[in-house]
Amino acid sequence: MKLAEKYNRANLLTSLIVLAITGIIYYVAIHFILTEKMDKDLVIEEREIEAYVKNYGRLPSPGDFLHQKVAYEQLKDGQSIERDFYYSEFYNEEEKELEPGRNLSTTITVGKKNYLVTISKSRAEAEGLVRIIFLITIGVTILLLVSLLLINRLVLNRIWQPFYQTLNRMKAFNLAQKENMHSSHTKIDEFNELNTAVATMAERVKKDYKELKTFTDNASHEMMTPLAVINAKLDLLLQESPLDSKQGALIHEIYHAVNRLSRLSSSLLLLAKIENKLLTEHETLDLKQAIEEKALHFQELMQNKGIQYSQQLQPKEINMSKYLLDILLNNLFSNSIRHNYQGGRIDINLSENKLVISNTGNENGLDHQQVFERFYKNPASEGMGLGLAIVKQIVNLQKFEISYVYQNNLHIFTLFF
Amino acid sequence: MKILIIEDEEELRESIHAYLKVEGDVCEQAMDYPTALEKISLYSYDCILLDLSLPGGDGMKILEEIKKMGKQDGVLIISARNSLDDRLNGLGLGADDYLVKPFHLSELKARIMAIVRRKNFGGYNVMSFQEIAIDLMGKEVKIEGQLLSLTKKEYDLLIYFIANQGKVITKNAIAEHLWGDEMDLSDDFDFIYTHIKNLRKKMIEAGSKDYIKSMYGVGYKFGMP
Repeated sequence: MKLAEKYNRANLLTSLIVLAITGIIYYVAIHFILTEKMDKDLVIEEREIEAYVKNYGRLPSPGDFLHQKVAYEQLKDGQSIERDFYYSEFYNEEEKELEPGRNLSTTITVGKKNYLVTISKSRAEAEGLVRIIFLITIGVTILLLVSLLLINRLVLNRIWQPFYQTLNRMKAFNLAQKENMHSSHTKIDEFNELNTAVATMAERVKKDYKELKTFTDNASHEMMTPLAVINAKLDLLLQESPLDSKQGALIHEIYHAVNRLSRLSSSLLLLAKIENKLLTEHETLDLKQAIEEKALHFQELMQNKGIQYSQQLQPKEINMSKYLLDILLNNLFSNSIRHNYQGGRIDINLSENKLVISNTGNENGLDHQQVFERFYKNPASEGMGLGLAIVKQIVNLQKFEISYVYQNNLHIFTLFF
Repeated sequence: MKILIIEDEEELRESIHAYLKVEGDVCEQAMDYPTALEKISLYSYDCILLDLSLPGGDGMKILEEIKKMGKQDGVLIISARNSLDDRLNGLGLGADDYLVKPFHLSELKARIMAIVRRKNFGGYNVMSFQEIAIDLMGKEVKIEGQLLSLTKKEYDLLIYFIANQGKVITKNAIAEHLWGDEMDLSDDFDFIYTHIKNLRKKMIEAGSKDYIKSMYGVGYKFGMP
């Protein structure tokens, strides 16, 4: 739920409740006052009747009353009625309709006889007044609610604009981008504060990220010299004859480990370089030719594994760094060979808008969410799990797209240009 | 052959020295910027190995100095800076080649030999080992005058072997030399066996002696049987 909506809801609900309560109180109070007044009128009438009886010794004729009706009823001896005000219906003879009324019943003694006197008065006027007041209240309520809604819509939306702008900038925030999070100044202090906080945070995150990257960079870099020493010493050790095959095997293992370590370092350096956009030079390259050359380059490896290779290539030109294209194809090719089994197959299909590489493989489908993540790899794999991460980085840099699916026992990588 | 190694890391410098030295060539060392500059201005070398990160100055400046002096010395940059910028910079400034650390000493030797050959003989030259003669320009291999038909990889392999004659070269180094170091297939280098087997067979059939010897399962040695 949006903040404005939530606020609107709370606001409207509160207004409604408050207005309803006010309305009820208003109604009850006015009703009370009007009834009070009506009762006073009835009492005045009663006094007039009493005065008439005192003067003339008889009851006044019921037809003598203008706005009220009076009825008499002789009470039996000993019977007494308590004086009482009550509501009832009132028949309006002129309008010939029933109206709400207010009655006063009292007893009056004429001579030796007791009479029940009922004085009725129409409440129509009072009710009308109450209705008008009620309608006005409702009208005001609705007007208030509507204007509240409108104000919320218009004003709130406008007031929140800077917030949404900041939000969009935060969404678009990218650690690798060089430019700062610039935000325009607004008149609202809270948003200015927010903008400042966001900008500061972005700066800090960027700084931390940069430091981390520099650290990785330096660490990988610093590793290269000792690795070079180990490699060189091994090369020298190998010249010390005679070695037996057991020593040879040990040296081989060390070579292997050193090789992996130096590959790890250079892969991390390469990733950092691509990410930092240090490899931006580009030229128009013949992708078809590049793939054919790569296939030739790798043919011995495929033969060695008895892999059946087939390619269907249409001419396609591509504008990118030669060095990166080389790495991209290298990684895709070596991936499809390395994870293949003896006697498997690799098919490459290049068309105007995509490059599809499908190969048989040892593993059943990889997790296509994670396949391009750093250090994601099959536990059985000897690789470092950086090859596809590098591919992904290059693809991102080029604004291409790459997808992975596992279909009919084939691992299929599709590169969309 | 006169070689100068400019490298501040002592262990690495000594190792390179030990690997290159044996043939009785002059192989000098410089461990910092001033020493390197002094040696360069005093002597001429066939090949200078230049590390870019040196105490007391940038290796790139030494390269500039060499060019300023109008020297014809070959320059091979060895650097841990695996950056394309450096590579382009170095080659633009007149370095002959570039090798990224860590490297195999056999690869270093092969690169030095290639630079020296280019410098000394211009384009046209012949490389020989016993009865084997290689025309590097025409890329032709002859054994006792008889032309040997080799694939590109077998030819590269033979040159690599001859440059590193008498040394044990690992399968790893051979694979990287032939297929490039970006080929990330560290698992297993047995696939190079086929190439070596074919090269050996062709050479023996053409009447050469068997110079290639498998060593401890780690690599191969090219030398007198």
